[in-house]
Amino acid sequence: MSLAFLICLAVLFGLSAFGAPIALAMIAAAVSYLAMTGQDLALASEQIMQGLFNSFILLAVPLFIVAANIMNAGTISDRLLNFCVAAVGRFRGGLGHVNVVASLIFSGMSGSAIADAAGIGKIIIQMMTKDGRYPIGFAAAITAASATIGPVIPPSIPMVMYALVSDTSVGYLFLGGITPGLLMGAVLMAMVARISHKRGFAIEEPTPLREMPGITMNAFPALMMPVILLFGIYGGATTPTEAAAVAATYAFVLAAVFYRAITVSGTYEILSSSARASASVGLVIGGALIFNYIVASENIPNSVAALLRDLDMSPLAFLLMINLLLLLLGCILDATTILLVIIPLFLPAARELGIDLVHFGVIVVVNTMIGLITPPYGILLFVINATTGAPMRDMIREIWPFMLVLVGALLTMTLIPGIVLWLPRLLGYGG
Amino acid sequence: MHSVLAWLQRRADNVAVGLLTAIFLSFILQIVSRYVFRQPLGWTLEACLLGWMWLVFWSAAFTLKEKDHVRFTILFDAARPRVRRIYLVITCLCIAGALAVSLPATVDYVAFMKIEKTSLLKVRFDVAFSVYIIFAVAVIARSVWRVVQILRGQDEDIQA
Repeated sequence: MSLAFLICLAVLFGLSAFGAPIALAMIAAAVSYLAMTGQDLALASEQIMQGLFNSFILLAVPLFIVAANIMNAGTISDRLLNFCVAAVGRFRGGLGHVNVVASLIFSGMSGSAIADAAGIGKIIIQMMTKDGRYPIGFAAAITAASATIGPVIPPSIPMVMYALVSDTSVGYLFLGGITPGLLMGAVLMAMVARISHKRGFAIEEPTPLREMPGITMNAFPALMMPVILLFGIYGGATTPTEAAAVAATYAFVLAAVFYRAITVSGTYEILSSSARASASVGLVIGGALIFNYIVASENIPNSVAALLRDLDMSPLAFLLMINLLLLLLGCILDATTILLVIIPLFLPAARELGIDLVHFGVIVVVNTMIGLITPPYGILLFVINATTGAPMRDMIREIWPFMLVLVGALLTMTLIPGIVLWLPRLLGYGG
Repeated sequence: MHSVLAWLQRRADNVAVGLLTAIFLSFILQIVSRYVFRQPLGWTLEACLLGWMWLVFWSAAFTLKEKDHVRFTILFDAARPRVRRIYLVITCLCIAGALAVSLPATVDYVAFMKIEKTSLLKVRFDVAFSVYIIFAVAVIARSVWRVVQILRGQDEDIQA
């Protein structure tokens, strides 16, 4: 590691710590490195522009963001929620289960945990806290915890980013996320059941069975979305990126034509906020492209691999170490930064240890999603705090049990790669 | 002055929305053409990539606010307003400085790229990449302006 690289890191960490946008901090750090090593300063712009222009797969990012925003703005989320209340609301802790099941279904349409928490999560927290049925901290905590499933079950923006840095197939990554996502849902529901029983939470009035067909029909077009997406991708009809466009179109047709829930000015607002969200992610990706170029030219990833080889680390020990490291980093960094900047450091080591990169990718994504709810920097907690006013302190107090079972699920899928890999292998993955 | 800036901001937002819509529509066109009419189009993909590149840097130049960016805000939020101002001045100057120092080389590079065209739409790469120059100049100007405002004590928006 050269002196120039150390200074580059100092610039990056210094500017980021002072609150500069991470993307701009990465560009500034990269320029300082290029200047010190006497390289062409235009390399920064060259790497960023060529990288963005040549990464077809990244086009999925803006499209998935548009799809999620349309679903939140139209009444699609509400209808899904009604369906979930009718289906699982009758059990003790009903709305807690509804929360998890709604997240599971919604995660099959949206690739972003934040969209999940801000959209469907906001509505369900209002339902849960009406008449004081559930403490707001509990409602907010289970919402945040279940939102982490969003990007584990396909579609998934974080998996697109991982595919970009690791050269893994997005299709197989998406498939690999399905069982782990269901597992996360299951452990969360078990925890909800336990807590509800202990604290004696209310039981909802069961929805009469004769109303079920009507409610199901009402939600049916929305429920078809995950089916269309998965069939499109795995039936070989569309690439994952094209599936994102299909999802956005379908959501738009549903919201605008079928449910008549959004107007022209509403559509403009959706596109405008989606454009800003996409650009902010795109810029971080751009910054990561030049930063990773420098990291690679300093030969850091290979040095890490060599170091681990000398330590004679077993693949399992490596995975556990990475999990621990990422969970700690997740407390202070956001998922995008971890996936784009930290993960590339460990990819050669993972490859050398014979770890399957689809397995690795799914674990990493699950891990960074848990990082979204770990205080002090848990972006899902911030989003819920901002949209519903749920107090931070209550949320943090109530989130621990959920975090614990999620980490348990993460550990299980780390130890048993089959949980991740059986579905991709069933559909032809050779790894 | 304020109303002119607000007007420009809205027009910049129109452009960003237009770019995103264009990406979206050309993707749909590509899918329909391939699966319905069995005639794959190549240029739509190129149009999407160009639109995406422009969307990212155009928005970063003109429409992204501090709060839209991915940032690490634990220390910033914990600091007193006076300290926040110091943080802001330092970060703005460093970012503006880095972009300004690399600007001449970047302009050279972008201008040099006129020798290449995208393979299907035949868009010259200097035109395609020029959005990075727009981005760099805009970020430099915005950062310097921010510093001036802070030093004059006119920075109302010190929160975010």
